[in-house]
Amino acid sequence: MSEFESITTSQIDDITIVSFNDHKVMDPARIQILGEELLSLVDPKDPSKILINLDNVRFLSSAAINKLIVIDKRLKSVGGSLKLCAVSSQVSEVFAITHLDSVFEICNSQRDALESFAG
Amino acid sequence: MQWAWTYDEKIASRVQAGVDVIRTLIEHLESSGWPPKHVFGVHMSMEEAVMNAIKHGNQRDESKQVHVIMKTNEESLYIKVTDQGDGFRPADVPDCTADENLEKTSGRGLLLMKNYMDSVQYNEKGNSVEMIKTKSN
Repeated sequence: MSEFESITTSQIDDITIVSFNDHKVMDPARIQILGEELLSLVDPKDPSKILINLDNVRFLSSAAINKLIVIDKRLKSVGGSLKLCAVSSQVSEVFAITHLDSVFEICNSQRDALESFAG
Repeated sequence: MQWAWTYDEKIASRVQAGVDVIRTLIEHLESSGWPPKHVFGVHMSMEEAVMNAIKHGNQRDESKQVHVIMKTNEESLYIKVTDQGDGFRPADVPDCTADENLEKTSGRGLLLMKNYMDSVQYNEKGNSVEMIKTKSN
């Protein structure tokens, strides 16, 4: 288990699985912490595989979505990769409207995502 | 139009004040039986309108205020958010779905508002937006 404030992490092999502690990710102060904690997971010397499981997330503000974009870009820049899974239908719709579903790799379930990482 | 609930306040240009207004609206819609899908869309739209007014319109200048009007009745929601900034031209906002803009961390607000609300209209100056959502739509 992790000791973060806004996220909980666990490890399966070389994949870090992240879940958000808030059902509604909308409070600016919490989003700031979320962004910092997500970026702290990226190790430039050891390109990371990160899976964000959004199973318990019912609302993501634009500011929170921006934090996903930032960690995705950071990971790609160091050769790591990010996948999202278990995205609610409403959050999926936001990704579809904004075409972010073509930026993020989104899997239906955590199992699918882990298999996808395994290649 | 007859309104059953009205909120009309000028809030400080602080992010937390914006969060509080949004929470007031969302709690009202939830307790009034609005469908969760609509509540989600209104939440996204209101977040964009209010935060844009505070951050971009008033530049977080706490001497400036954001005027928020929200009204509901059995069937409709009306929102008007006005800041004291210089305004902007919605037509000048880059297309956030263009490949070159996809990974930018701004510019999605207007698109989300137009998708989730039945009507989104800016005044000529571009510092005031009116949005309408109908429960049955």
